[in-house]
Amino acid sequence: MLVCAALPLAAQSIRPRLEGRVPAEVIPVIDSIVQAAAADSLPTEPLVQKALEGGAKHVSGDRIVLAVRLRRDRLEAARALLVRAGDSTPVTPLKVTAVATALSRGVPGPTVERVVAGLPGEPHAAALQAVADLLAHKFDPDSSAQLILDAARLGVPHDRFLDVATAAIHEMQRGSTREDALARVRAGLPNLPPPARPAPKGVSDAKRPGV
Amino acid sequence: MTHIDPRVHEALDGERPLESLPPDLRAEAERLLEVAALLAAAPVAASVATRVMAHLAEPRPSRLRRLLQWIARPQAVTFHLRPVWSLAVAAALAVFALLPGGGPLELGPEEGIAEFVLPASGAHSVHVAGSFNDWRAGGIALEDRNHDGVWRATVVLPVGQHEYMFVVDGERWVADPNAGRYVDDDFGRENAVLIVRRASR
Repeated sequence: MLVCAALPLAAQSIRPRLEGRVPAEVIPVIDSIVQAAAADSLPTEPLVQKALEGGAKHVSGDRIVLAVRLRRDRLEAARALLVRAGDSTPVTPLKVTAVATALSRGVPGPTVERVVAGLPGEPHAAALQAVADLLAHKFDPDSSAQLILDAARLGVPHDRFLDVATAAIHEMQRGSTREDALARVRAGLPNLPPPARPAPKGVSDAKRPGV
Repeated sequence: MTHIDPRVHEALDGERPLESLPPDLRAEAERLLEVAALLAAAPVAASVATRVMAHLAEPRPSRLRRLLQWIARPQAVTFHLRPVWSLAVAAALAVFALLPGGGPLELGPEEGIAEFVLPASGAHSVHVAGSFNDWRAGGIALEDRNHDGVWRATVVLPVGQHEYMFVVDGERWVADPNAGRYVDDDFGRENAVLIVRRASR
């Protein structure tokens, strides 16, 4: 009982969440991976989500365990990167998850480090999402990171970094080269076109799903 | 009772010409003649029986017409409610107003709107599953309201980055072809990546 009380909440609650959702024989293995991650102050929710995803997709137990381990490794790498980049604020699970997701989306480690180092003490998620969007459209990683850092320096709020990336992508889709698209958007900063908003009808139709 | 001079009576009965009366009596006789003329011109009051028969003869308005008349006519409505009941009614109304779905959708500060669209003509059902609903395959259903093979759902989700896939006919996992953002799912396929932004900006 005392041991249970001492365990982190995430580690205690994992088995009920997995029961009936993933093959029963791998639940103890996944549970031990999650508990070890919690003890190591790594985020545990991405590990649970990966296990639930594998179960929903009817993947074999072995592959689920493999995918959960792979994700745990990515989270460790993300945390190491944050420390290496000199992030002065505490390395929170949210930051580690944001960096791990950026790495999964194909943002190179050095680019992630550059963004983290360029925004000391600030949240990185929005900046990394914007850089990942640009890279998905084959923009140069360094130039993409520089555009977002320039936007931050010129006072563009974090929740509009995605609009910076979108503006560059739209410029490219209108016929500019990628270099020109980045240069045009940079020249216009901190001004940006208004973000796309959901149509009022869409908002009134929206449903709140139960988990 | 007012006393009328006998000479005035005689004049009113035609037994004496009005001109033969002294001026004061003549004026009184003329006034009385005017009153008599007014009384003669007044309509004769119908008897009770006549009035009842006339009312019965009128055609009765239809039920619809009477209902419309009743609705249109101002009515005094009075409630005699004990204070304890008025408090109970107020509490019940407040609970009803606060029930989810009882009014317009209110978004929290950390919530946004996501619209899922999948062209899947011939599909019998389409759901979306992702990190926002613990990957429950049957949790969020898309609808083909226009019967044009395009399935849609508009959903309130927490702000942030989510991974998801569509589930067609309950068994086929399909990546969103229009997502624009993808990530390897480590099971040999790609999840779409969705970034939900604050709607209350």
